[in-house]
Amino acid sequence: MDHQEVLGRLCALAGPGGFEGTVAREAARLLEPLVDRVQVDRMGSVVGLRSCGKESAPKLLLDAHLDEIGFLVTGHEEGFLRIAPLGGVDPRMLPDRELTILTQPPMLGVVACLPPHIQTREDMDKSQPMKEMVVDVGLTQEEAQRLVPIGTPAVYRTGCAPLGEDLLCGKALDDRACFAILLDTLERLAGEELDVDLYVLGSTQEETHSTGAITAAFGVMPDLCVAVDVTHGDSPDAPKDKTFKLGGGPVIGVGPNCTRWMSKRLERKAKELDMDCQIEVMAGHSGTNGWDLQISREGVATAVLSLPLRYMHTPVETASRADMTDCARLLAQFIRDIGKEVPSYA
Amino acid sequence: MLELVKELCALNGVSGAEEEVRDFIRAKAAPYADSIRTDALGNLIVYKKGKKPTGNKVLLAAHMDEVGVIVTKITDEGFLKFDFVGGVDRRVAIGKPVVLGEKKVPGIIGLKAIHLVSREEEKKVPKTDSLYIDIGAKDKEAAEQLVELGTYGAFVGTPEEFGTGLLKAKAIDDRVGCAVMLELLKEDLPLDVTFAFTAQEEVGTRGAFGAAFSVTPEVALVLETTTAADLPGVEDHRKVCAPGKGPVISYMDGGTIYDRELFETLRDLAEDNHIPWQTKEYIAGGNDARTIQRSKKGIRVAAMSAAVRYLHAPASVGSTADFADMLRLTRLFLDRMAESC
Repeated sequence: MDHQEVLGRLCALAGPGGFEGTVAREAARLLEPLVDRVQVDRMGSVVGLRSCGKESAPKLLLDAHLDEIGFLVTGHEEGFLRIAPLGGVDPRMLPDRELTILTQPPMLGVVACLPPHIQTREDMDKSQPMKEMVVDVGLTQEEAQRLVPIGTPAVYRTGCAPLGEDLLCGKALDDRACFAILLDTLERLAGEELDVDLYVLGSTQEETHSTGAITAAFGVMPDLCVAVDVTHGDSPDAPKDKTFKLGGGPVIGVGPNCTRWMSKRLERKAKELDMDCQIEVMAGHSGTNGWDLQISREGVATAVLSLPLRYMHTPVETASRADMTDCARLLAQFIRDIGKEVPSYA
Repeated sequence: MLELVKELCALNGVSGAEEEVRDFIRAKAAPYADSIRTDALGNLIVYKKGKKPTGNKVLLAAHMDEVGVIVTKITDEGFLKFDFVGGVDRRVAIGKPVVLGEKKVPGIIGLKAIHLVSREEEKKVPKTDSLYIDIGAKDKEAAEQLVELGTYGAFVGTPEEFGTGLLKAKAIDDRVGCAVMLELLKEDLPLDVTFAFTAQEEVGTRGAFGAAFSVTPEVALVLETTTAADLPGVEDHRKVCAPGKGPVISYMDGGTIYDRELFETLRDLAEDNHIPWQTKEYIAGGNDARTIQRSKKGIRVAAMSAAVRYLHAPASVGSTADFADMLRLTRLFLDRMAESC
């Protein structure tokens, strides 16, 4: 699968939490040829089903979220906009940052920054909190109030492009890179006989409250699920023990959020494929939809599979195409014959 | 002229590596020039005869270079350490894309995710020497295939019009001055004019030393940009100037006390011709004028600038009407210079 092509398309679209409509439509379009049925549910999540044709087959849900971090307009001042974060935004990424304000039609905004002459040296060493920032949309106060109502969302104004030979860099790779992995997984399984009904979920509102995953899982009633999300990739300024090597392969989650036999199965399958993989031990919350999927209805056996991502929650999120391919290969191998391993809870 | 400004802003020309900008300007200027040359510092000096033979009387100057980065070290892991070329507030560089060298290798200035930052650390802006550029190279050897020590990097930004009559672009400083001069070159001029497209303004107005020395005009008008701080929360007396209020005519800045008569000439021409104008309400900054003024036995200098927000940052913002008014006012200035000799 051409991850660059798919992400080029998905990441260029704006879909902050609660405003995923456009992304969901594109996700559904990409999913359609690979499944028997696609629908967009009440919370805006995309759910695709590939049935195995066997009666009362176990249901396996694969999840990747479609939303991205973003902003909401909260006020106007001298024609500039005040904004609040929608998800975990790093304010240090913001001075002189270009945003797309999601008006109809969308408009350019630039996060204003104060020039050096009106700041002291100490000021310039401090990171400016978001509540002090304003966005320049080149309008008067009256125009701004009329054209950009309070509550208008905004996102980073960028897409996704190659960086070096293997990496892709842009916004919203968290978690659309993983949605691309799910598509890739389905492609790899095309034409094969499976022993589970496969549900593929592109969920909404993960960055805020996992609302899309919680509600979709209630509807699907899965027996098993895999939350596919990003984890921290390595960079020169990040602690080595908290990050995972880009190009080092898929990251398999271990801990209370990860049902043990599923983690072990992932590890075993990686070995069978002679694939490098990495283990992430999570003592509590996995920081993914897996946390909520696990306690859907009476509980769901859950695995967390992660893609290493550098500079998470920035407009320059960076991931390896080789890792994406390996995640899909591993996931496909994990799914083959998994029906046999589903325990009975009687 | 706006299309020309956009074309110029899209080019890369970090101080000391102005070739791309110079080649573009040279190609555009050559058909209209009586003489054209590139000097040892990289300045492009264009001379065009006008109706009145006045020789070296008037010099117009604008700089071709822009702020950027330069690679200082390649790490074993294949990341690039760098320094800023020219005055860049490092806060505007974090997480921004750059393109490196003639091969235009894409890179980004990285910063670890907010989740990996302590509460204390979060309040501070990382020092320049802890920043790095990621070009997606897997190790030093792979990086060395793409860049070397001393490779220049420019910020990335597509010129784009937005809001009510504004332009967002990188390097508006000072491609707008270059655009005004290129437009004038196409016209019949009232007197002989030398146009100096200077190099290395951003690292200490270096190019202007050579250009002023070789041209030795009586009068020089520097076409520039200047910082606008017209943002909410900034006290009025520190806003300096504002895009959309007309060209900024300076009486003094951090480098120059401008020739009073020339200042008044420009001001009166603006008033008489109903061209909006403003002046800097804050004494700061400086440009090629400071160097030109003190060349040889002295040169009378004036400066006209576009008020630009977020100067020296990848997304700078100026008013398209101001750009057009700079051209009109410069034209009137040349007419006045021709009349007075």
